[in-house]
Amino acid sequence: MGVRVKTGRTLLAVALGLSMAVGAAHAGSYPDIGPLPQIKISKAKAELGKRLFFDKRVSGDAAISCATCHDPKQGWSQNKPLSDGYPGNGHFRNSPSVVNAVHKKSWFHDGRIGTNLNDVTRENITETYIMNMDMRIMQERFKQDPVYVKMFKDAGYGEPSNGSVRKAIPEFLKTLTSRGAPFDAGKMSGAAKRGLKLFKGKAGCIQCHNGALLSDGKPHNTGVAENFDVFLDPMNHQAFIAFAKFQGIPNYMNMKRDPGFYNITLDMADMGKFVTPSLRELKYSAPYMHNGMINTLAGVVDFYNRGGGKDSRKSDRLKPLKLSKKQKGDLVAFLESLSGDRLTSSEHVWSKSYPDEYPAIQNWKEARN
Amino acid sequence: MKKRMKYRHAVLMASIATTLLVGCNANATKSNSAAAEKAPAPAAAMAMGPAKLEPLGLPPIPADNKQSPAKIALGKLLFFDPRLGGDASTGCSTCHEPDQGWAWAEDFSRGYPGTVHWRNSQTIINSAYNPRNFWAGSASSLEKQARGAARGGVAGNGEGDLMEARLALIPVYAKAFKEVFGDETPLIRNAWRAIASFERTLVQRDTPIDKYLQGDKSALSEEQVRGKALFEGKAGCIQCHNGPMATDFNYYNVGVPPSPRWETDGLAQITFRFEQYAKGQTQEGYRTAKEDWGYYYRSKNSWDKGKFRTPSLRYTKYTPPYLHNGQLDTLEEVVDFYNRGGKFEDGRTTNFTKTKSKLIKPLGLSDDEKDELVAFIEAFSGEEILMEKPELPDYAPLFTKAELEAAQEAK
Ligand code: HEC
Ligand code: HEC
Ligand code: HEC
Ligand code: HEC
Repeated sequence: MGVRVKTGRTLLAVALGLSMAVGAAHAGSYPDIGPLPQIKISKAKAELGKRLFFDKRVSGDAAISCATCHDPKQGWSQNKPLSDGYPGNGHFRNSPSVVNAVHKKSWFHDGRIGTNLNDVTRENITETYIMNMDMRIMQERFKQDPVYVKMFKDAGYGEPSNGSVRKAIPEFLKTLTSRGAPFDAGKMSGAAKRGLKLFKGKAGCIQCHNGALLSDGKPHNTGVAENFDVFLDPMNHQAFIAFAKFQGIPNYMNMKRDPGFYNITLDMADMGKFVTPSLRELKYSAPYMHNGMINTLAGVVDFYNRGGGKDSRKSDRLKPLKLSKKQKGDLVAFLESLSGDRLTSSEHVWSKSYPDEYPAIQNWKEARN
Repeated sequence: MKKRMKYRHAVLMASIATTLLVGCNANATKSNSAAAEKAPAPAAAMAMGPAKLEPLGLPPIPADNKQSPAKIALGKLLFFDPRLGGDASTGCSTCHEPDQGWAWAEDFSRGYPGTVHWRNSQTIINSAYNPRNFWAGSASSLEKQARGAARGGVAGNGEGDLMEARLALIPVYAKAFKEVFGDETPLIRNAWRAIASFERTLVQRDTPIDKYLQGDKSALSEEQVRGKALFEGKAGCIQCHNGPMATDFNYYNVGVPPSPRWETDGLAQITFRFEQYAKGQTQEGYRTAKEDWGYYYRSKNSWDKGKFRTPSLRYTKYTPPYLHNGQLDTLEEVVDFYNRGGKFEDGRTTNFTKTKSKLIKPLGLSDDEKDELVAFIEAFSGEEILMEKPELPDYAPLFTKAELEAAQEAK
């Protein structure tokens, strides 16, 4: 485990660090904010992933599902500053929307997973303060549910196994992509169009928010204020301490801020950096930032208009913008034009119920386990 | 924080879903029960002098974990604190309830929420004397046992870093760990040491049998004295249930059949299969196992299938149901089981007929003799040991708002 993290740490640091230097040097030419690429989806696998995503039996004590913290009705996130944790603890970060997660290259606010959604899924399921699941038990649970036995088989996975769970959930996540956003449909309002111009021009957002996801995928320090509830509420703080200890952060017991990207490189220059988030589908996923410290999109625009927050290591791309009230409104209109359908119909949400009990396997003595 | 083990196994299982799962348990130790079986107990006993019952002395205290009142007091709180577990619902006392004989009064122990265990919960009373713990002896000390229990997926399902973080956020604990162990912030491994210290106080040495063996001939009734003679003679119990703990701490298959619950209870079937993985079964073993292989999981010797540690008979008055899978509800039923030569009333017995102990055979006891034997087994239990659950200390923030504001200013 230790080895895995260290390798991941260096690889990520190299990958993210190099291209960052290029971006900073060149204002003006950024990857276009355009439509998202199409992806092929296996229907049977995605359907299985959907049932898994909403199934509480994926967690250790069978009390929470992925959807508890990534709730379709709350923009596939949670509408409160700090995410829930596994029962018995809290969390120290805001739960991000999982819509468009499939298009990312690194995941989590600090980008600490840089491989694939299979690993992200494994991480969420086994992480003590998230779902705390021993995947061996999970696998046996699903072998005990005839609906899953059939679905795994129909999806071409054979018998239920934890390896296939980690494939099926990412397949489902592929179905959660932007759809019907005015920006993509070419149906932007006049205000939104003016906002887009500001975004690329005077407001300078494009420096970091570019490409199809409106994210350069790189870490920056914008000076977002700490959320003191992380440290004042022992439920959240315990999750933070366990996290910081595992990341190998020196003096983690005394840490009074979220280290962000620093926990990957352990380089002070990266303290307080977070990976630029996508700006798609934000309409329903308030509050914003890694710790939910800003409640509205208008609040975020005000934050940038002030030149970001207070931090000695803040990105020098952030300066007070001197936007008029109208310009701020236009920027917000543009941000809103990036949100489309809420994806809350049964096409994306598992609406059937789950069995309350595990039926016994008949003729158990003769059946192969 | 993350379950390192879990990750390892997750990878393992993904990549070898259908291949061998051999030898995950590298710590399988050499079987000493094999020796016990091959040289039947009477012969072994003769070499060392006849096996006999003895009064219970003081529990052994390991040199690296001395007792102290402060450590014991801390261990007591921790034993009753469910925050030493995954979702803060399931601590040691959850499955070792003082008023259920410091065990759990169902066949299978309750499990971590969402699971059921697959074995009967054992009493904590006198566990201080066990050279190895658990039904199949898989833990070599109380300290290691506690760690394993708090982390096991169907037991505490807790994880070291998070439990350690919780302790640091409970000021009473932070202070006590500092005083007792000198920890700047509580170390989880010292929690296991404190709990073990507390467990070493849960002993019972003033039972009728102790008094009797120390010379107080009035401590046993006449019926019990006759039961003792049967125990040491015709019924042959002494061959395995001997010494101060009324156990030789060896491993035998006395004929206990698999639990019928595995045929009818889906949740139990889940745990059953999980345990095959967790205990390092081979792929074929995992596919075909239909009962608890017991000591085999540790030794990996085919002749150890279905063997379990001879349990102590002390305190058993308060710990029904009996046997590793809790299938018998009363001591009377246990005696009947032995009287039939290791068979249940309905004829069920172990499927591992090859490993069944030669020492177990029909005894031909009369009803009176059976009553006498039961009466004698009760002499291994004194008063019930009850304990109020202590009031548990609260969490408190580690920092003040002013400290956080100062840190924010300094960013
Ligand atoms: C207890 C709450 C909780 C549960 C349950 C949970 N998550 Fe999350 N999820 C979070 C939080 C909080 C983050 C951000 C963590 C961080 O940045 O450190 C996150 C991050 C993610 C991300 C990365 C998003 C991004 O843009 O980087 C994905 C994908 C994700 N979760 C999917 C899942 C899946 C799939 C499950 C179920 C297997 C799941 N989550 C269960 C709270 C939760
Ligand atoms: C220096 C790079 C950079 C620039 C320039 C920048 N951002 Fe950001 N943006 C970020 C980072 C990094 C975050 C995440 C900060 C955090 O979570 O603490 C972020 C977060 C956001 C969020 C919150 C998203 C969410 O899901 O919580 C919005 C909205 C946003 N930016 C809009 C803008 C707008 C509008 C502009 C231009 C006025 C802009 N950004 C300029 C890097 C930048
Ligand atoms: C979910 C129920 C559960 C929890 C929680 C639990 N135990 Fe147990 N305990 C059991 C069961 C069942 C056994 C027998 C298991 C076996 O043999 O595989 C056992 C066995 C033991 C034994 C062995 C006794 C002997 O005779 O060998 C000790 C000691 C013990 N537990 C102490 C603890 C401590 C200390 C904790 C807390 C850290 C704890 N237990 C938590 C169910 C539980
Ligand atoms: C060959 C060794 C051996 C002999 C002889 C033997 N026992 Fe046992 N005893 C065991 C073992 C091993 C177990 C645990 C078996 C299991 O759970 O599978 C046990 C279990 C018990 C239990 C249940 C204890 C508990 O906590 O669940 C009682 C009571 C008991 N024996 C009494 C007796 C009596 C009375 C006799 C004589 C008639 C006797 N035993 C003879 C080895 C022996």
